[in-house]
Amino acid sequence: MPATIRARLFTPQDVCRWAIAPCLALGLAMGLTACAEAPPADDPEAVAEFKELNDPLEPTNRFFYVIYDRVDTYVLEPIARAYRNVVPVPVRTGVSNALSNLNTPVKLGNDILEGKPRRAGDTTMRFLINSTVGVLGVFDVATGWGYGKHDADFGLTLGHWGVPDGPYLFLPVVGPSGTRDLTGFAVDTVGDPFMWVGQGTAVKTLGWTRFYVDAINARERALDPVESIKKTALDPYATFRSLYRQYREGQLTKLRDDNRATVPVWFPQMAGQEINPPSR
Amino acid sequence: MLHRRAFLLLTSTFTMSGLLTGRMAAFAQGTDRATAFVKATGDKLVAVVNGPGTAEAKRRDLTTIIDAAIDVDGVGRFCLGRFWRQASPEQQKHYLELFHKVLVTSVTAKLGEYQGVKLTIGRTRQQEEEQIVSTVVERPNNPPTTVDWVITQPTSAPRIIDVVAEGTSLRITQRSDYAAYLQRNGNSIDALIGAMRQQAAQNI
Repeated sequence: MPATIRARLFTPQDVCRWAIAPCLALGLAMGLTACAEAPPADDPEAVAEFKELNDPLEPTNRFFYVIYDRVDTYVLEPIARAYRNVVPVPVRTGVSNALSNLNTPVKLGNDILEGKPRRAGDTTMRFLINSTVGVLGVFDVATGWGYGKHDADFGLTLGHWGVPDGPYLFLPVVGPSGTRDLTGFAVDTVGDPFMWVGQGTAVKTLGWTRFYVDAINARERALDPVESIKKTALDPYATFRSLYRQYREGQLTKLRDDNRATVPVWFPQMAGQEINPPSR
Repeated sequence: MLHRRAFLLLTSTFTMSGLLTGRMAAFAQGTDRATAFVKATGDKLVAVVNGPGTAEAKRRDLTTIIDAAIDVDGVGRFCLGRFWRQASPEQQKHYLELFHKVLVTSVTAKLGEYQGVKLTIGRTRQQEEEQIVSTVVERPNNPPTTVDWVITQPTSAPRIIDVVAEGTSLRITQRSDYAAYLQRNGNSIDALIGAMRQQAAQNI
């Protein structure tokens, strides 16, 4: 990293302006010229497949995938591997838990927007228990106490509201996404109170530390699956695209199916109604 | 007249309910069998994975279990999608042979690295002709993963036709991989077979 950049510490806000915006502009500019070619209309099966893939910017996306893959192979993956080799498992788990605890405001906001009171309750209880008994979120005590983890972000919220996932996007820094999930990512980033709290070098340093540790932690957790996909897939780009879409759809199904009742335990229940069905 | 109508109504109700209970019983039997099958197969897999044995011995045992439990040819046809019909019988034969090799090596390689696996059987549900058995797989230092096993019973013996981990289906992912490869290689099935051959040679 050049000294001029290091001298001035950025907040994650700046990341958007500094890294994502120019890349997006480049991507869009390329997108205007490099669109995926639609198959001929006399091959209905190929046309159906093309529509289902919903990847009109495929050449641009593949271009970014290649860059991402290089950066990953030479920078991210070695760092993640070193992190795995040097830091013992309990510490890594603690780091992961603490990061997830810091994400509470964003998660809670989305639980509420999704209209899932039980999930919002879980998130609140998890934060209260893990921040205190769990020592600033390092230990996940709440799961054992019946307040399990779940996923919530604005992309899922939009999906729950009926917004389709939209064309697939592969972006620098962000990785696999889609128009809906990219919107969600932007809203979550801007909506995170930690982004707006405090000023000065200390806060900026903390913000950056969180950003980097988050990235390394996420990459470490993905080491094995990514390695096996890169080894076994004939077209890793397409495999990641398929996996990403399916995984998001799976999260959405889980969210939709989580209709636990909010009635208190002592309230007379209808016969056969489960009071506390598991969230998983 | 009234008697006759009442009689007809009564008999039809009986037949209907008879049919319904028959169907329900068949369904219950099917799901029970699917659950038992997944439990038996899962237990066998877990026993091998967690057992002592060398990597090589484990791989051999896993191959035997997978061969018996998974409908490899069915999955292979599914993964080739619309290209299956376009392929010549010769290509189909080559493709299935290689598919079998690639699938078995990738599954055994993945499972072979695991240790201390715990499998809990959950609910079973019917989806069209298939039964889906939900399980939770737990590994040390990993969050629990929901794995759905899709079971088909074309004849009497249940077979696995898909494994869905956290919403990601093995066969759908594989199919999109092949489809993308074919699309970028002029829809040539021979090119795909060539790539698979290279892959099978690398993995062994």
